[in-house]
Amino acid sequence: MYLKDMQTGQRGLVVRINKGHAAERRLFEIGLVPGASVEVVSRHPFHGPLLLQVGNTRIAVGQRIAEAVEVEMKSSTGNTP
Amino acid sequence: MTIVIIGNPNVGKSLVLNRLTGSNFIVSNYPGTSLEISEATLKLPNHEIKIIDTPGVYSIFTMGQDQQVIKDLLQKEKPELILNVLDATNLERNLLLSFELKELGIPMIVLVNQIDRARRSGMQIQRDRLENILGAPVVFFSALTGEGLMELMQMLEKNIDETAWPSSIESFFEQGKKPECVFQCRECSIGSESCLSSEDFRRAEMARYTAQLVEHKQSETQRYWIDKAEKLLDRPLTGTILLLALVFLGFYILLKFIELSEGPISALLNPLNLIIENFVANLLPPGIVNTVLSKAIPEGLIIPFTIIMPAMLMVSFLMAILEDSGFLPRYSVALERVGRLFGVSGQAVIPLSLGFGCRTPAVLATRLMPTIAERFIVITILSIVIPCAATIGVMAAVISTFHASLMVLVITMLTVLMVLGFIISHLMPREEVFVYELPPLRIPTNKNVLKKVRLRFAGFFTEVLPLLLVMNIIIRALMESGFFKLFHSMEGFTRALFGIPADAFVAVLVTMFQRYLAPLVLLNINLTPREATIAIAMISLSLPCLPVMVMTVREIGFKGLIKILIIGFITSFIVGAALNIILPG
Ligand SMILES: Nc1nc2c(ncn2[C@@H]2O[C@H](COP(=O)(O)OP(=O)(O)O)[C@@H](O)[C@H]2O)c(=O)[nH]1
Ligand SMILES: [Mg+2]
Repeated sequence: MYLKDMQTGQRGLVVRINKGHAAERRLFEIGLVPGASVEVVSRHPFHGPLLLQVGNTRIAVGQRIAEAVEVEMKSSTGNTP
Repeated sequence: MTIVIIGNPNVGKSLVLNRLTGSNFIVSNYPGTSLEISEATLKLPNHEIKIIDTPGVYSIFTMGQDQQVIKDLLQKEKPELILNVLDATNLERNLLLSFELKELGIPMIVLVNQIDRARRSGMQIQRDRLENILGAPVVFFSALTGEGLMELMQMLEKNIDETAWPSSIESFFEQGKKPECVFQCRECSIGSESCLSSEDFRRAEMARYTAQLVEHKQSETQRYWIDKAEKLLDRPLTGTILLLALVFLGFYILLKFIELSEGPISALLNPLNLIIENFVANLLPPGIVNTVLSKAIPEGLIIPFTIIMPAMLMVSFLMAILEDSGFLPRYSVALERVGRLFGVSGQAVIPLSLGFGCRTPAVLATRLMPTIAERFIVITILSIVIPCAATIGVMAAVISTFHASLMVLVITMLTVLMVLGFIISHLMPREEVFVYELPPLRIPTNKNVLKKVRLRFAGFFTEVLPLLLVMNIIIRALMESGFFKLFHSMEGFTRALFGIPADAFVAVLVTMFQRYLAPLVLLNINLTPREATIAIAMISLSLPCLPVMVMTVREIGFKGLIKILIIGFITSFIVGAALNIILPG
């Protein structure tokens, strides 16, 4: 599943980023690397940006990025996509 | 000896430099504040140390503008020491850069800054462990309280011995010159272009591991009210409502302040003006020079002091609060979708809102934009649409004198903003990549706010006031000499096209180059509310002022400026003609 499919408050592990080298590098810099744990803090409606908590950093990413980041839900509380 | 400060954006590098050297560089609470290199000297008992601050970067191995700046700097200055500044509350991400810097081989001191905030949130860091893993001395520091300053100074005092320039650094300078790396990305020891290498992943892994090893949550984090406010602000609904309410409050305070201060300022100014007028009139022999000067000087003081001064003062204050609290980037998030309509990402909010203060630094702040195309869009909108503090003052003056319609003006500006943004963004190739780090909310310090107000407001006395005074004298002279009457032959043309008299059109042309001259010319002619509305709309939506033009050339080149000027002229004329057709006569 992708970042864009996650609900507010859910946590996941980043698996892959499918958006070319430049975007991948930018996300890497800010801490969003494969293996990193992310939490969706809030989602703005109408395909707006997502607020994420990665480690101690709070970052905002646009919808395009949210569509490109593949995640794996953490030992989840029983939700099926 | 030379030291270079390197660290992530918004960790406090500039404040550290200020603390160490007693200098006064700009400090703000959002990533991307220091876009240029600044340097200062630290005087220790026995020697002097040159300390250089750099733009914040997350990784030095990314191929970007800021990294190039750092690379050039290292090559030129050959520093004896790197001062790596970290944010103590965010070790995992910050340590990535530390591990990269270690590979350069230049001696390094790791400054764990903002230790006050880490402690407040109940976090403890094991210093000796961190020193062992990094192989570099670690100092706990707070640029805010001054903690750790003595220790750092002593360490610098001891670290003076000259070391040889490491040879390992050469591969860093060569980075990007090896084309084969592009095709075998993961295998390169240093990632080239912008791809990630296995080395990058290894360092990220090290950073994560180290952070886990040295950090200890001592107590359950206490929730302070500011954390609660942050939570509220980062929710879509409450956040957006709160942010919009704050904008409204800001404008309300601004207008009320101008309104309330006008009376007392006039009361002080009027007797002074009488004295000046009499003094000048008696000083010079009677004649045209006498008439011009005795009228023009007092007259030229009224608008700057009663309207532009309070506007600049209040806007500077509000902007400082916005910058230091951490609200500014939150607007980028809330308004991201609006920005997308214009083809810019949310970051555009920062330069655009800085533009309400003064557009010159705002043009510099467009460096935050991820692509050149977006920079051009934002600079164009800034130059043509956004009214700076001085412009707002001017508009207020004209509106109140002629009873021009504020509503028509606001609607016109918004329409132009939409149309212009829409057109330019569709002419430009674009890729939407919005990634932005949100800073923590902080309470602005009095000292920093005062400093910023003083800095921004200084322009009133050094730039705005002298210029207005001189121009007012020139314009008075032109009027007294009957020069403007020459333009009366254009009356038919300007009336037909824009519905304004030739005099007002001359005013429009004059003010295209310096917006805040508008009232000086306009207030001396008789205009109906309709004419005044059209004239001020044409003036508000025209060319950038001279300082902005200079900055634009510096930032995006001469061609970019020419394009913007052409767009500005066209916009202004279309606005005039369109309003002339739309507004009832
Ligand atoms: N509490 C606290 N805040 C700090 C400290 N150092 C910097 N700041 C704040 O962090 C923000 C960023 O500072 P700045 O020097 O502009 O960071 P730079 O981008 O790295 O140059 C500002 O709001 C500072 O007031 C510190 O040691 N403690
Ligand atoms: Mg700085």
